[in-house]
Amino acid sequence: MSGAAPDWGSRFPGFDVLDQVPHWDQVTADVVLARTCSPAAVKFFTESEESCARALLNLLTGQDGPGGEPAVPVLEMVDARLAAGETDGWRYADMPEDAQAWRDTLTLLDADAHQLSGAAFADAPPADQARLVQAVQDLGSGNWHGLPAAHVWSLWTRYACTAFYAHPSAWAEIGFPGPAYPRGYKNVGVGKLEPFEVGDAHPSEDPVREGA
Amino acid sequence: MGVRARNESAWLLPNDGTRTNHRLRQDMRRFADEDEIDLVIVGCGAGGSVMLQRLARAGWRVAALDAGPFWDPDTDWVSDEAGSHHLYWTDPRVIAGSDPVPMGSNNSGRGVGGSMIHYAGYTPRFHPSDFATHTLDGVGADWPVSYPELRPYYEQIEQELPVAGERWPWGDPHGYPYRPHPVGGNGEVFLRGADKLGIMAKVGPVAIANGRFGNRPHCIYRGFCLQGCKVNAKASPLITHVPDALAHGAEVRPDAMVTQIAVDKLTGRALGVHYVTGGRERFQRARMVAVAGYSIETPRLLLNSASSRFPEGLCNDFDQVGRYLMVQGAPQTAGRFGAEVRMYKSPPPEVSTEAFYETDPGQDYKRGFSIQTVSPLPITWAEHVAAQGHWGPALREYMSDYVHWSCLGGLCEFLPRSENRVTLAREKDSYGLPVARFSYSQCDNDRALARAAQSVMEDILHAAGADEVITIQRYAHLVGGARMAADEQHGVVDRYGRSFAVPNLYITDGSVLPTQGSANPALTIMAVAARTAHHLAAGIS
Repeated sequence: MSGAAPDWGSRFPGFDVLDQVPHWDQVTADVVLARTCSPAAVKFFTESEESCARALLNLLTGQDGPGGEPAVPVLEMVDARLAAGETDGWRYADMPEDAQAWRDTLTLLDADAHQLSGAAFADAPPADQARLVQAVQDLGSGNWHGLPAAHVWSLWTRYACTAFYAHPSAWAEIGFPGPAYPRGYKNVGVGKLEPFEVGDAHPSEDPVREGA
Repeated sequence: MGVRARNESAWLLPNDGTRTNHRLRQDMRRFADEDEIDLVIVGCGAGGSVMLQRLARAGWRVAALDAGPFWDPDTDWVSDEAGSHHLYWTDPRVIAGSDPVPMGSNNSGRGVGGSMIHYAGYTPRFHPSDFATHTLDGVGADWPVSYPELRPYYEQIEQELPVAGERWPWGDPHGYPYRPHPVGGNGEVFLRGADKLGIMAKVGPVAIANGRFGNRPHCIYRGFCLQGCKVNAKASPLITHVPDALAHGAEVRPDAMVTQIAVDKLTGRALGVHYVTGGRERFQRARMVAVAGYSIETPRLLLNSASSRFPEGLCNDFDQVGRYLMVQGAPQTAGRFGAEVRMYKSPPPEVSTEAFYETDPGQDYKRGFSIQTVSPLPITWAEHVAAQGHWGPALREYMSDYVHWSCLGGLCEFLPRSENRVTLAREKDSYGLPVARFSYSQCDNDRALARAAQSVMEDILHAAGADEVITIQRYAHLVGGARMAADEQHGVVDRYGRSFAVPNLYITDGSVLPTQGSANPALTIMAVAARTAHHLAAGIS
């Protein structure tokens, strides 16, 4: 949550997934490149839900820092899924269907924010936003306003991660070259790179070890 | 008989770089609803397609109705995770119990080819012990079929897919028609770690030909097996059984959702199926009905087919429908390496061990687990990382480390339990039918198996040089829900898949399996269907 520029964006210098678009099949290229165009207008969320969801989703995907528009329009991607009714094909028995669950939990998050900060979630200070979200995760198997907190957390993070890591700029950040048809791979095995792959510039920066 | 002489599917596909024989589909025989065909099959996946192909070859007038599309890999599938959402059954379902099981991309396919469109491609056999776990270990159930009875069908299907792998030393030792594939980084890590610990691990068994097979090209190792194989290299019924079925006069009717099986009140025999296509309700007459909708939709269809004769649901006089539904515990453990593994290069299915498959008398749990490479792509990997509790900048930082990770998956033989079952929820789907509610709870033996599998995976990864390991608890696969048994008080169908309650109603999918072993179920589902088909074809001729 610090204001310093994050260092995770610089591990694969010069690597841009979109350099390889000419080698993708057209059907895949159309689907992936559509994600890099200006996002469609919000259809599912109401205005107040939209600002709450935008703040929440940018926070969950580390896009809440200063510096203008997020690289990945997670809010619009989640909105499009919900508008199209594209669920994961299941819901927990103790949760409403996903669309309603999103509306309900955003309302509850705004209510929490009003209590803590006297403002809607989107207008609360960044530190308060982080506290509110962390509080839901920390409930674990407990209850959040009558909903199982773990299932709320699952809903939020599933939709957030699925949207964020569908985007070419997220792939570039993790060294993943994206679509691979009809090209495939020729140099497989530990330590082997294709000509279009870029090696990790900071291979010793193991985030697990640092965090341990 | 050579494989081409009994199943020409791979030679019926185009060899010009496209993947679908459109002419074969255009020229397909089409039955009228009023025709009383010999057999209508509900669902065109692993079980349904094998039935369709076998009985078309036997001269039956047969049609398979599938709720989803007749896929064309060229235009319908993409080399992309999020863009493959339509491959999964995503109609609403409710999950409950103390350990609810997520559905959708995890285990539920849609369209012609079924879940084998998005399965990884592992095709191990069950072990002989899987057919008698109750006798041998006092847990689970005994099948009314033995392994030797199924073996010839395993061998047939392995040739038809075909399967590549090293000679298999576990269970009933056997070889495979194709040599093992070269392994990528993830397979290399698994083999190295297992070797250091003295654990035997083998390359395969994978339903991807190592070489050309008919007009199907060689695998290009692009790593998107779970998103539908655009290459036609990974086996699925869409390319392994449907083309030959069409060439022998079968019909595949896509986008046709079967809503009810009709049974004659007087004779108690099935008359055909009600279905919806293009927004219209229709009825296909048939002399025989085979249900192959897999472990959630098959029980749901039976329960939704209640009538005055079967007030609690079709074939449910003894409250067996929907019960003993099984999923494998599938803890997924990843290890971090200084070198770059880049596990997304190469098919996710590469290397497995079945060294822990059987009951070990030295342990306090029964039955066992297998371990296989799994190579999650970014979205699935994000789920693994997020499960460690990371979000925001921490999530991004962990994710940036993706190329350094290797990932293994356990398949634990969670035991069949009567309370793990499908019932009908109050909620309705877009057809106005009650949706399935799947309740699932683990027992102590299940939890012990998952712990043991995790611990072995951690050991293998550490032995291979991993400095850190992280695990997510998952489930994989579905079987059971309408199991075969010796009698109608213990199951829904007999040893040939014929329902006890309705003499001309068969179930020919994974729902009939009484136990699940630690093996991916696709091959066994196909082999069991091939056995049923053989029995039926022999009976009529």
